[in-house]
Amino acid sequence: MSGFSSFGVFLQILINGILFGGMYGVAAIGLSLIFGSLQIIFIAQGTMMILAAYFTYWAFTLTSIDPFFCFLLILPIFLGIGWAFYVGLFNKVAAAGKNPSLLLAFGLMILLENLMSVAFTPNTRAVTTSYTGLGLSIGDLRISFTRLVVFLISLAATGMVFLFMKKTMWGKAVRGASEDMKAASLLGISPRKVSSLTFAIGIALAGVAGVAVATTYPFDPYFGFVFSLKALIAVAFGGIGSVVGAMLGGVLLGVIESISSYVISGGWADAISYGAFLLVLMFRPQGIFGRIAT
Amino acid sequence: MGKRLLEIIGVDLFYDDAQAVWDVSFHVDKELIVALVGTNGAGKSTLLDAISGIIRPEKGKILFSGKSLANMKPEEVVDLGISHVPEGRRLFSRLTVLENLELGAFPSRTRPFLKESLERAFSLFPLLKNRIHQTAGSLSGGEQQMLAIARALMARPTLLMLDEPSLGLAPVILKLMFEIVQALNREGVTILLVEQNVHQTLEIADHVYVLKAGKIELSGGGKDLLRNSDFQQAYLGMKG
Repeated sequence: MSGFSSFGVFLQILINGILFGGMYGVAAIGLSLIFGSLQIIFIAQGTMMILAAYFTYWAFTLTSIDPFFCFLLILPIFLGIGWAFYVGLFNKVAAAGKNPSLLLAFGLMILLENLMSVAFTPNTRAVTTSYTGLGLSIGDLRISFTRLVVFLISLAATGMVFLFMKKTMWGKAVRGASEDMKAASLLGISPRKVSSLTFAIGIALAGVAGVAVATTYPFDPYFGFVFSLKALIAVAFGGIGSVVGAMLGGVLLGVIESISSYVISGGWADAISYGAFLLVLMFRPQGIFGRIAT
Repeated sequence: MGKRLLEIIGVDLFYDDAQAVWDVSFHVDKELIVALVGTNGAGKSTLLDAISGIIRPEKGKILFSGKSLANMKPEEVVDLGISHVPEGRRLFSRLTVLENLELGAFPSRTRPFLKESLERAFSLFPLLKNRIHQTAGSLSGGEQQMLAIARALMARPTLLMLDEPSLGLAPVILKLMFEIVQALNREGVTILLVEQNVHQTLEIADHVYVLKAGKIELSGGGKDLLRNSDFQQAYLGMKG
């Protein structure tokens, strides 16, 4: 381990990367579901995360609602927003093809960024709770309490979506429809319902990832686009349409960034992760992990 | 005479701007096997798509048990009791056999009978029972066709529409397929069969409509057409 001063340091960097990557993973699952089922590249996913981060911030600053409790509020709200986005906007536009929906998502991103900037000012915000600085120490390792909780919540969200897809009739319908919408409709599955459900779940996951951002990172209205790109990379790593793959892809991306910014420098972390993205697209377009279950 | 189950009255159908079916009328009586035969591009699949609500007639009417299917979406048509096994089977290849079957029982009318319907599917297609946890994509062509039919039956249809079920099947499996269609019919399921495999189809069909270039050219009992010399020349490649 030439680049690391000790194995302990390596382990610390690895853990930081995994914890951070969980956030990418959750956002990526949403993106992957939406793309896998509806062929929409929802580039506003990161901006939806930032919207959720602001929601968390204001709930905490104005009414002292704990950020982790905020998850429970954000889930239904973002499910509703996702449903409304599909029914009100994407349902009609998606029929016109992939490019119009990408443009619509892009426009939505710009609109939201600027609305947030006007409403909340472009200042950087951060949620600082009484437990923000807390950490667990195991030997030389230090694990941030908030990041650990955020990671566990991300895992729980992944597990819930996975079980939903595997065990429920609607979840199976979402998977079936993502393969063949026409066949699904011939079995009595309404394309409109299954699509709005998929969209709602995808946006709700952006909400979960947004609470994660709020509790672990300072953010501003324009911070979301980078997260969209990171989530896209994670999707490419994990394989489109795969829940577990997207989560693993996110974790892998977090680890790559964390290690490269330590070994080389922070400036190189992005270059290396985009480089890895290109390599995966060129040599393993089905994703590194292929298709693991869903 | 049985009762009219399905009535197609003077329909004109378009596929992407090109007219595919001209003023076609035919009907399917209860508990019969009715077949649409004809060459590729004769408009057979287009007619099934119109009945299922995938495309809408520009002109004419489609009635099911006397009720108009105009403006119904495919998912509503299934709920009325019409199941459509599309050409090429259209299974969910990444889902398991069991999951494909379960989705067949998606309409709320049929969901309470899921368990019964599964048992029926496995008694009709015992092969599938050993494969329930395999993905549909890993099945052989014959098994996939059985799964496609089994999946459609999960919706407990009164009318089962099969689009080219024999396509790409080995002769032994093909024979089995036609036997299964007959067995389903004996259980009371009305069958509307679209086929290019004319000979076998005529053997089992109570009534046959011959489509040519989007129009009905000829119709009659299956066995009668087998003996009709014009028909023999045109479709069975026999010299009259």
